Amino acid sequence: MKPAPFDYFAPTTLEEALGLLKQYGSDARVIAGGQSLVPMLALRLARPEVIVDLNRVAALAGIAEDGESLRIGAMTRQARALASPLVHEKLPLLRHGLENVGHPPTRARGTLGGSIAHADPAAETPMVMLAYRATMVLAGGAGERAVPADEFTLGTFDTCIAEGEILKEIVVEVRPDEGTGFFELSRRRGDFAMASAAARMRLDAAGTCIEAHLMIGAVAPVPLRCDAVAEALVGAIPTEVRIREAVRLIDLDAFEFDNPEISLAYRRHIAPVLARRALMQAASRAGDLRQ
Amino acid sequence: MTIGKPVVRVEDERFLRGEGRFTADYTLPFMVEAHIFRSPYGHARIAAINLDAALALKGVHAIVTGADLPEGLAPIQCRIPTHGDLSPYLQYPLARDKVRYVGEPIAVIVADTRAVAEDAAELIEIDFDPLPAVTDPARAIEPGAEPIHESGNLAGRWGFDLGDVPGALSEAAFIASDSFSIQRHSAMPMETRGLLASYDAGRNLLDIYGPTKVVHTNRNMLAAMLGMGEAEIRMIEPDVGGSFGARGEFYPEDYLIPFVAMRVRRPVRWIEDRVEHFAAINHSRDCAFHVTVAANRDGIITAFDVKLVTDMGSYIRTHGDVVPSHAAASFPGPYRVRNYRIDAMTVMTNKTPTGTYRAPGMFEANFARERAIDRLADKMGIDRAELRRRNLIQPEEMPWYVGTESVKRPTIFDSGNFPLIMDRALKAYGWDAPFEREVNGWKRGRGLCALVEPSGLGPFEGVRIEVDQHGKVQIFSGSSNQGQGHETILAQIASEVLTVPMEKIRVRHGDTGIITFGGGTYASRTAIMGGNAVHSASVGVRQKALDAASRKFGIAVEDLDLREGAIWHGHRNEPVVTLGGIARMLMPGNQEILVSPSAGNIPDNDGLVVTSYVRGVTAGAAVFAVHMADVLVDPETGETKVERYFVACDVGRQLNPLIVEGQIVGGVVQGLGGTFLEELAYNEDGQLTTGTFADYLMPNVYDVPPITALVFEESPALTNVLGVKGVGEVGPSGVGATIGNAIANALATDTGLNKLPLTPERILQSTGFGGLQ
Amino acid sequence: MKKHSVDLTVNGREASLLVEPRQSLADALRGELGLTGSHLGCEHGVCGACTIIVDGDPVRGCLMLAVQAQGADVVTVEGVSPKVGLSEIQAALREFHGLQCGFCTPGMVVVLHHLFSENPRPSEAEIREAISGQLCRCTGYQGIMNAAKAVAARHQSKNV
Repeated sequence: MKPAPFDYFAPTTLEEALGLLKQYGSDARVIAGGQSLVPMLALRLARPEVIVDLNRVAALAGIAEDGESLRIGAMTRQARALASPLVHEKLPLLRHGLENVGHPPTRARGTLGGSIAHADPAAETPMVMLAYRATMVLAGGAGERAVPADEFTLGTFDTCIAEGEILKEIVVEVRPDEGTGFFELSRRRGDFAMASAAARMRLDAAGTCIEAHLMIGAVAPVPLRCDAVAEALVGAIPTEVRIREAVRLIDLDAFEFDNPEISLAYRRHIAPVLARRALMQAASRAGDLRQ
Repeated sequence: MTIGKPVVRVEDERFLRGEGRFTADYTLPFMVEAHIFRSPYGHARIAAINLDAALALKGVHAIVTGADLPEGLAPIQCRIPTHGDLSPYLQYPLARDKVRYVGEPIAVIVADTRAVAEDAAELIEIDFDPLPAVTDPARAIEPGAEPIHESGNLAGRWGFDLGDVPGALSEAAFIASDSFSIQRHSAMPMETRGLLASYDAGRNLLDIYGPTKVVHTNRNMLAAMLGMGEAEIRMIEPDVGGSFGARGEFYPEDYLIPFVAMRVRRPVRWIEDRVEHFAAINHSRDCAFHVTVAANRDGIITAFDVKLVTDMGSYIRTHGDVVPSHAAASFPGPYRVRNYRIDAMTVMTNKTPTGTYRAPGMFEANFARERAIDRLADKMGIDRAELRRRNLIQPEEMPWYVGTESVKRPTIFDSGNFPLIMDRALKAYGWDAPFEREVNGWKRGRGLCALVEPSGLGPFEGVRIEVDQHGKVQIFSGSSNQGQGHETILAQIASEVLTVPMEKIRVRHGDTGIITFGGGTYASRTAIMGGNAVHSASVGVRQKALDAASRKFGIAVEDLDLREGAIWHGHRNEPVVTLGGIARMLMPGNQEILVSPSAGNIPDNDGLVVTSYVRGVTAGAAVFAVHMADVLVDPETGETKVERYFVACDVGRQLNPLIVEGQIVGGVVQGLGGTFLEELAYNEDGQLTTGTFADYLMPNVYDVPPITALVFEESPALTNVLGVKGVGEVGPSGVGATIGNAIANALATDTGLNKLPLTPERILQSTGFGGLQ
Repeated sequence: MKKHSVDLTVNGREASLLVEPRQSLADALRGELGLTGSHLGCEHGVCGACTIIVDGDPVRGCLMLAVQAQGADVVTVEGVSPKVGLSEIQAALREFHGLQCGFCTPGMVVVLHHLFSENPRPSEAEIREAISGQLCRCTGYQGIMNAAKAVAARHQSKNV
């Protein structure tokens, strides 16, 4: 399990990195935290000619407030994000997601941008960013472009990042008055999910739901946005009964993954359970905020 | 006194400091590295091999294929008795015309580095003609199935038929019957395998670092294959990162790496990588039972009627059919059931060959039998523990002859008071205490399992003990150590007999260069066989020292005493001479003797050295154990949480309670892995689909409940002086059964939970996916 | 492929490596510097036997390329061990039988040293999380947990 040979560059600025990508084109691949790429190199499943290391591009790391939003540099380590008071206070869903990502030594090195750009269908952070309706900022030779999370992930291990582009940062609008919920089921803690659910909810003074979001992960190449469920809750008091009814609107036909040990039928069974629990948790936390 | 004390382990310091030396930590001057090109197909003919491009790569020294193996080389022999002739299914070190499993060695590449060897592997061109892969043992034996070997896919069919099973079934008041299957999984030690072979051509000497478990046996097998003298080959066991039954089989690499080292005339190191390990290490467990258990109105179990199909994989290896053989021989467990019938089939498939994994055959048989007994108890409406209690073998019936045999040895339980241990276990656990059936929507269940683990099989073990002039004691053991703590327990035994502190004792093992004969470590035997050999040799050293002191100082042996590492005059209560002093006296050519011969001197001698072999233990030492657990189940998702796990067992005598507990606790967690997580799964093309640690899930610290080991020393083994019984395998042996029973109890279900691993999905299936929304 | 020279600090001493880019840091520490305490159990980042401290964080030595360690401060199991004998954590692991074959042990020692250096009195949950990425096939983790809890309790009573 030794990687095939490759050349290595460690640029210190984004411009330098983009220049290398331009120079080497499809032969090049960027490395962020390396927690997915290095195993693929070792297994020779990935065999780029050139590795462009983003770890020395200091400008790509860090979490900053920007008005109503948080800007998260793509090279922000998962462990730093998990320990960040800003994330704790303003993006609880990201914290819950990150708690389920790997283990301390992989989070110490793994980055948020790396996980999002890797686009594993069962990974937590891409689903969280979808739930947040985050914006992905891509830098390329022709400048920057902002892509909504919904348009970012195209499929399993597939995103809209074009050749020569780098995921620079993730912008998340902060909603201080919402409750969030996150549940996932995996065979072993820290591993990828068999199914997962992330929910956000806002309530008005009377306890009526005025906004809801629900994502289901690990059941299809791209996490599923369950707008029908959300719409069914808006305008209602999110009681357990209402939530149980609403999760029946999850589009089970959109589920695709079917493995011998984790069948499609089982995923269709547990996803609504996890969705219900996530929504209940979000409603409960939103209720707490109201008081 | 050190035997029986929780002595901290002597081997720990080097491991904790990172100073252990494992195979990959060894290098030799001018060493090169090997990588093995393995079959990407489950079943295919090899039409042509082209090595030109690979050989041309800079840094490549040699590539060896099946065509390069010596003419007339025999396949790797099975070294234990089997049911019937399995020789048509043996494996050659390299495939020639046909490959039969993904991972089968086809070529060995030797290069400057492992990375370059892997680069070369990508340049090897092979034309394969794929054949249909046979992966399902039931289909493998259907007419028209693709034959994997010329002799067909049914390797063996055999069994036992004791008493009158049809009669018992026809008279039964209650019958439970179901199928139970145990998935393919394996030992998966944290260190992969590896070998470093160095050949001294001028002297025709071959040194090999990396073998373990049964180095003398493997050395002799290799000598036969290479046509060398046995003493011309030295196998040296380094530190070994776990075995659990999977190491020590004579693997293809055990021939190939020495073979290529002799060819390239440079030391060759091969360190298996983890992905290779998944395909190359023996797999295990993979079998299916159909069990019918019958009882009369009084709750007496009257018969077991069993069918067993075992998926052997693509070749028969060194361990033959020992796994189904043990399962069949011991199926009736701790119960006095005389009507027992089993019809066993061993079937070949296009998968990695199988061998032993901790509690081989027993984990499997216990799962099937104990789940079936729970079904029976439910039908009868009696307490599950009570049903078992009524059927246990009674102490006055010991030794108990099951009436079966495995590897040509009768299955005998030497000693034990099973009912007493069971009662104490139930009481200690609080089996009868009521418990909350539901917690926050999760269902709680309680399960148990009773079992017997035979341990410590013969035929022999050897030890040489040498005491030097400074009173330091070296123990040269024929046993080996893969992490169990043998350096500690063997030193404890010598320390006790020789009254020498542990610090002055060193244990060396696993090296054919230090002792002529050795048995090795398997079947939970080292405490028994190796331990008793050390005991015997220590007694010999003591006797020799007392005799020497007696003659030298003219004091009757009866008046001498060995204390604090010295010979004391009993009456005067003063030391006469230290063990080191005796060792000096007994040195060959001792100056004292040569210079001033006198009546007080003793004849020239061969040192304070004693070699001792213990032989011929015909029956194992039977460990009776009861496992119990409480498990929570989420009825909506099938998720589980084991709240507590408990093992009570009678080990006869503990050498070191710390190590005994560690063996049990660690074993239980391996059992939990096999129960919930681990599976070596194949698709229908014969591709292993769980071939990395990302797919093959082993327990991490979050998967582990509090585990209690309650260890009894009630019935010492009758087959050895120390009275010890092996404790290596009682931990995993009952876990599948106990957990399955607890989950069934939680969900109050009498279907399902008969297929391991118990995934959340399967757990939910046992309730018909009920309770949705 | 061109070799790169890498200057770094290993266990408090300056060191240089000459490596191909494809070489992992764990491979280089073992092969170039003879620090064989870090073990390679899987080379794909799951088992944790190669875990080392890089710039203050525990990381997988097999998932970092050696070239990425230019200028880094690396600590291995050899670096957390005292000159002779055992550290408090190492001694506790021996006392509570927190190791058997010893192959995963260096990774366990490293993550526990890191944990206690940041938090001398970790809770049981914090200990569990700290070792959650380290696979041990022998002990069932119970002895390891007991050792770490005992160290935390001693620190608690001595107010470390």
